[in-house]
Amino acid sequence: MLHTYARRFAALILGAALALPFAAAAQSPAPPTTAPTGKVPDNPARGMQAEHSSATGSTAIPGWNNPPDWASVSERPQYASIPGRETNRLVQGAGREWRELHNGLITQAGGWLVVIVLAAITVFYLIKGTIKLKGAPTGRLIERFNAVERAAHWTMAICFVVLALTGIVMFFGKYIVLPWLGYAGFSWLTIVSKNLHNFVGPLFIFAIVVGFLIFVKDNFLHAIDWRWMAKFGGMFSSEEVPSGRFNGLEKLWFWGGLVLLGIAMAVTGLILDFPNWNQARDAMQLANVVHDIAAVLFICAGLGHIYMGTIGMQGAYRAMRDGYVDEEWAKEHHVLWYEEVKAGKRPEKIVGAQAQPAPGDD
Amino acid sequence: MARMKFICDAERCIECNGCTTACKSEHEVPWGVNRRRLVTVNDGLPGERSISVACMHCTDAPCMAVCPVDCFYRTEEQIVLHDKDLCIGCGYCYYACPFGAPQFPQAGAFGLRGKMDKCTYCAGGPEENFSAEEFRKYGRNRIAEGKLPACAEMCSTKALLAGDAPVIAKIYKTRVATRGKGEQLWGWAMAYKGSDKVSDNLGAGA
Repeated sequence: MLHTYARRFAALILGAALALPFAAAAQSPAPPTTAPTGKVPDNPARGMQAEHSSATGSTAIPGWNNPPDWASVSERPQYASIPGRETNRLVQGAGREWRELHNGLITQAGGWLVVIVLAAITVFYLIKGTIKLKGAPTGRLIERFNAVERAAHWTMAICFVVLALTGIVMFFGKYIVLPWLGYAGFSWLTIVSKNLHNFVGPLFIFAIVVGFLIFVKDNFLHAIDWRWMAKFGGMFSSEEVPSGRFNGLEKLWFWGGLVLLGIAMAVTGLILDFPNWNQARDAMQLANVVHDIAAVLFICAGLGHIYMGTIGMQGAYRAMRDGYVDEEWAKEHHVLWYEEVKAGKRPEKIVGAQAQPAPGDD
Repeated sequence: MARMKFICDAERCIECNGCTTACKSEHEVPWGVNRRRLVTVNDGLPGERSISVACMHCTDAPCMAVCPVDCFYRTEEQIVLHDKDLCIGCGYCYYACPFGAPQFPQAGAFGLRGKMDKCTYCAGGPEENFSAEEFRKYGRNRIAEGKLPACAEMCSTKALLAGDAPVIAKIYKTRVATRGKGEQLWGWAMAYKGSDKVSDNLGAGA
């Protein structure tokens, strides 16, 4: 079951990537592929008696009236005079695989993965607590994110949260929301979710393209990032591994989350969002499977990012809300970046304490 | 209780599209939606057959299994119906259905899917029987009138059979047993066997 999806995966990604620039051109519906196979199906006359075929007076030309082998014709496009998408497909079997993956593995494993990640974060918080500054705040502030960076971040963040919540309603809601909300209420919620999801999705794609362009310059991987990741940045020990403006995990979130999962979500999301491009069912089934798996991974990684950016680390949330961090915070968490800023090699400015309320207080 | 099914006898179907037309006419189906369609296999080639396809009212219905809002239900006659008030137009039933039965009238820009529409086996929907709302959303409720689906009733060659599964299966089995298949269906011998007026030897040697 899975290997047929694996085989089609590469073809879909390539095809979708190539097709995107021509999306506008593809708005006009393509004619259905009704090309006859041009080949008489090899069909042994089942249950036919020899004496019948050579019946006296028969004008039958042998091989000319045998019914098709239904098992083999069902998957191939045939002829249909009814206009519409894939009306000439008698039966499609891939829907069964899609159903099994969608209802089975992805819903169950994906749902439990989100629950497990939430539980792991909770356990981590209970053991480790908020990572506080070791030294006293200096009161001198460094601009960590400028207004453009913050606007880009929060556009991505709000879109992400809306997409994740509406996606969860549509994907898991049948099991976790419907039982207590009832059919009418849940249907209303899901219709709202679907429309929000469909319209916020393209906005999110725009936001991550802008986010990529803004943040890519400080996210190139260096040798220190591998050292950082090898030690998990000191998350499980007390020593902090040196890092630049962004540490190993932040770069992993950038390349793995924003770039890789972002592309996967964007390509498959566009295939699903615009049925008027006349894409076939198997493209949409495959896109849906990839979209669901990538979404679960994105949500899990996003939970980790949200945790570290809020209650996980003192001062991190204020850095993205107000744009400033204390010098002590920079020295403890991003020492290489701090040194460059001090040396005047970076655009970020150091300002006095009076400019902003002291970050790191909450 | 009955288990209502369709059988299309491909040996009888003449691709007249009468079933499609009967359905559209009976239910005033929206533009662009065809609850029933004809597929011609091996078109123009030896062994060409046509077959009429619509919702097959599956016993283990994939649409029902994948619907995120659980809008499908089964009647006492085992007919698979859905509630358009609950449907969100996500298209999952269309991905899952082997027969391409669920269809979506376009509800807005970018191909936004409207409420799903499919064959109701002429059994209406969850609205009150014979109400205007039921007709507007689902079409005529012939089952409640004690009639069979319009497509099967209309079929000129009685290729399309509708009814309780054991009953129509028996009809179909009888036909298969009586007529044979393949080469046996073709030629003078089959058409005029035993006739006094046409010589059984007319086409001999072909």
